[in-house]
Amino acid sequence: MDKKRRIKGMTLGSIFLFAAAAVLLVGGSIGSARAALTYFSQTYTSRIQTQKIGVTLLENGNPIAWRNFDKKSADDIWDINEVPVDERLLGGLLGEDESFVMGKAYKEELAVRNSGTIDQFVRVHVYRYWVKVDENGKETKLQTKSPDLINLNLVNDDYWIRDGKADTTERYTLYYNRILPAGETTPLFSDTLTVDGMTADHVTQDVTKRDDGCTVITTTYDYDGVEFRLEVEVNAVQTHNAEGAIWSSWGRKVKISSDNRLSLVDN
Amino acid sequence: MKKKSVIFAAITIVLILAANLPLAWGYFSTYTEAKGGVRIQPRKIETEIKEPEISAWTKHVVITNSEDGTPVYIRAKAFCGSDYTLIYDGGENWTPGEDGFYYYNKILNPGEETPELLVKIKDHPKDENGQEFNVVVIYESTPVRYDENGNPYFDWSQKLKANERGAE
Repeated sequence: MDKKRRIKGMTLGSIFLFAAAAVLLVGGSIGSARAALTYFSQTYTSRIQTQKIGVTLLENGNPIAWRNFDKKSADDIWDINEVPVDERLLGGLLGEDESFVMGKAYKEELAVRNSGTIDQFVRVHVYRYWVKVDENGKETKLQTKSPDLINLNLVNDDYWIRDGKADTTERYTLYYNRILPAGETTPLFSDTLTVDGMTADHVTQDVTKRDDGCTVITTTYDYDGVEFRLEVEVNAVQTHNAEGAIWSSWGRKVKISSDNRLSLVDN
Repeated sequence: MKKKSVIFAAITIVLILAANLPLAWGYFSTYTEAKGGVRIQPRKIETEIKEPEISAWTKHVVITNSEDGTPVYIRAKAFCGSDYTLIYDGGENWTPGEDGFYYYNKILNPGEETPELLVKIKDHPKDENGQEFNVVVIYESTPVRYDENGNPYFDWSQKLKANERGAE
């Protein structure tokens, strides 16, 4: 009996396992083959609604940055705003010949739109910092200037929850605590931008005594010639298996309740 | 031999399954970003007082703001010995405050100068060769601030956080 069960030193069990492995291997590649057959069908035409994810940042109602899945070719699968990232935000802050005024609250209404075809969860990173720009346009970040003087006023905190654990001196992170349906726009997460007038209180004084006995004090602002930067990054992820998707994609533990409300899990 | 074959086959299956797992673990996600900024140009505070020669026992005080300065508010005040009284005349351009300062009513923009603030010395000595005395004028400036609606205002209580680069 032993001789019948063995084929060149292998048991029936081993043969079965190898056969199963072969079936799995073939099964793993059959999807693309099936897709190719469907593609060449000439008898029937049908429209297939594919699952596309996309997200857009709105500034004062205008789309200024987006990245939508839109497969046009093998190398071109994303529809992205062609305006350089550095030039997207605050473009319409000042009118022609208008100077920026510290202390004034400029309208800066920011929101997120789901520009894909599937529902999603979204979050937003906001960065604020100061830079010095040399003659060649090279930027150097100024670590000693306070980002807190750049105040993006956050609103609608019943929709946007702030992740205090992710805060740094120049960054804060907001999570939209509901599902954002395809095509819908969130409530605003900010309404105004103000550079604090305290900026004008940091000065350097040069004191000189003139021949006529007068003392002349020349006061120069420490912030003279520096530029502030505001940076917004929007992330979006699918709602299916959301807790796992958010943990995997964003590295943040969250809980999704039975009514699809998102909350942060810190333990 | 049998045991080895089974283990080998099992490992093969696990590897094949593992090769397919990333497909199952991939999630739909995307992102976008935008950046912008504005250059801050508060420039410098550089004002100067002009006091032409005293005439008719009256000081003519004028304060100028440099071309590359920043818009400021101005206030001025004069001191003298207790034997004399000072009378101010700033017309409609200067308003007395309760603190003894006279406040220039408008914003002094870069390149501009205030109208004259006249400081007359009352009860001055009749004999010009008599007692010598001084009348000292001080003035202060503060940068124009803006409220959230963009309206200008002043805050004389706000102190500058100054780094002094040294006197000569």
